[in-house]
Amino acid sequence: MIEFAVETTAGGIGVVRPQGRLNMSSARRLKEIVDGLVSQGTTRIVVDLAETTFLDSSGLGALIGGLKAARQAGGDLRIARPTEAVRTVFTLTNLDKVLRARDSVEGAFDA
Amino acid sequence: MPEPSAGGSAHEDRLDLSAPATPAMLDLVHSVLEKLWEQHEDVGTADRIRFETAVIEVLGNIVEHAYELDAAPADVLRRFDVSLSASDEELVARFGDNGMPMALDLSEVAMPGEDAESGRGLALAMAALDDLSYERVDGRNLWRLTCRRRD
Repeated sequence: MIEFAVETTAGGIGVVRPQGRLNMSSARRLKEIVDGLVSQGTTRIVVDLAETTFLDSSGLGALIGGLKAARQAGGDLRIARPTEAVRTVFTLTNLDKVLRARDSVEGAFDA
Repeated sequence: MPEPSAGGSAHEDRLDLSAPATPAMLDLVHSVLEKLWEQHEDVGTADRIRFETAVIEVLGNIVEHAYELDAAPADVLRRFDVSLSASDEELVARFGDNGMPMALDLSEVAMPGEDAESGRGLALAMAALDDLSYERVDGRNLWRLTCRRRD
């Protein structure tokens, strides 16, 4: 019950939008999408979580895996606009400092 | 292929579901939770999120474990049942499954390091809940999840 919208901005930033529940059934696809972007040379990636209605530990693992892949390639992965359900999971797992949520997709790589 | 039975039969304030322990059943349990919230519109958003997060993590653990180190013949179907209930004070989920026994000491469950890509499931469930218990009774794994209502 999830779809992923993927685009690359004019500035060369990859934007991934998981629309629905990011859970153990769908986490692998997120990781594959991020790995695909990184292998094509798009190493700056924003995961827009505005339409991600639910996140579980598998989805978190895929985000951390994507973050590591992007950084190893010299880039970074940032998250933007998390829903309350997603924010709660980041807080409960103490990952809100590691992957600090940005207010907008466009500004996710400013500072 | 056995279908899930009783897709959320209601016993007053309780919803029950019995289904094969497969990843596809996660969405079914999300649907049963939606039904629970329809019946209990007064449960606040933060409490719903904590409870749903924990229920899905424990179910994920059951599903993963159902296929791990499993010596049972392929035709022995792993199933789980879950009962969800809400009262003015708390939200409770009871899971039972016929999977392999868990070598599990909940007192030793800890959040893994920041760069870990797995191993957060039960730690997340425990952080979301007020109480989580596990026991093995008569060849079944039994879980009880309690979330005291705060909002």
